Amino acid sequence: MTLPGTAKAMGLVACRSCGLVSPLIDALRRGRCARCASTLHVRKTASAQRTLAWLVAGMLLYVPANLLPVMHTSGVGGGADSTILSGIVSFWRAGAWDIAAIIFIASVAVPATKFLSLGLLLWTVQRRSEWAKAHRTKLYRVVDFIGYWSMLDVVVVALTTALLQFKALGTAEPQPGIVFFCAVVVTTMLAAKSFDPRLIWDTRATDG
Amino acid sequence: MDLYQVLALTIAAAILFVIASLTPVLAIEFGGAETQANVWTAALSMDRGWIVWAALVLAATTFLVPMLQIVLLLWLLAFASVYRRAPGFAIVLVALHRLRPWSMSEVFLLGALIAMIKLSNWVPVAPGPGMWALVGLTIVLAILGKYEPRSWWTLAEPQRS
Repeated sequence: MTLPGTAKAMGLVACRSCGLVSPLIDALRRGRCARCASTLHVRKTASAQRTLAWLVAGMLLYVPANLLPVMHTSGVGGGADSTILSGIVSFWRAGAWDIAAIIFIASVAVPATKFLSLGLLLWTVQRRSEWAKAHRTKLYRVVDFIGYWSMLDVVVVALTTALLQFKALGTAEPQPGIVFFCAVVVTTMLAAKSFDPRLIWDTRATDG
Repeated sequence: MDLYQVLALTIAAAILFVIASLTPVLAIEFGGAETQANVWTAALSMDRGWIVWAALVLAATTFLVPMLQIVLLLWLLAFASVYRRAPGFAIVLVALHRLRPWSMSEVFLLGALIAMIKLSNWVPVAPGPGMWALVGLTIVLAILGKYEPRSWWTLAEPQRS
């Protein structure tokens, strides 16, 4: 397949904030978009490095996010710590497989998909791979789009602790795991935002 | 969608947002005591030690960012409806573009529904007016989300070639 040249090869640069396409000469001279004054980048600065850094941070934080309890519930039958996974398991055992599936997708599948996808994108971009460029661009859009759904469990824990405050019945307290989980969501979102999908198309020796 | 339709939807979003922030989204009544939570108070419940960081992220993404989006959109539209370019037009449009990925009202709605099902195993938990407002807000924001404020650049600057 013969591809049209990149905007960069044509001496053009698009603004990431407002979409205005400017001649590259203007961008180099002024450095800012003529319309919205955002900084113009032919490619995001140190995109691969920053993406990798946020991604590694996210993966490291994902370990305590899953190992540490996110919530402590105490009631008449004694107290119990629950982690993200034990929460999913208890929904599953109670027969609520649909709820278990939703939390599993938001809290486990989405972060895992982000780690794998961004890892794959970084690796293929580094190798200047010609493989499935359009599909990889689409993969990036999906990763960028699904990221924020991982906040779901944080919302559930916050609402449960706000509502379950009865001495006679039971109380719920947030636990440190939830902070790590929150940090995973933020770091992986920043990883996706740091990645420049235009790098996927920079495969010729003259590019990049 | 023309400008007045967008303005009408934005006003609707503002009203629904106020209701979702002031009235309970979920409430429990048990043995004479009552607890309730909404978009605003959910984050406040996590105020213990450094868990407050999770509360800050939650408050920012489910309360502050959606509120800013609605306020900024109203600002632009109020001026546009009288054929004027709002002060700070460029900054506001760029801000709207940057804020968008961090707006999580619909995540809050799904979380509220899950929390409701989860808690209903122990106690009778009832959705309050805030829940219906949140449903409406999610729908209105989804429709507004399809509308791309980026297209306003060309509307606002016909003189630029």
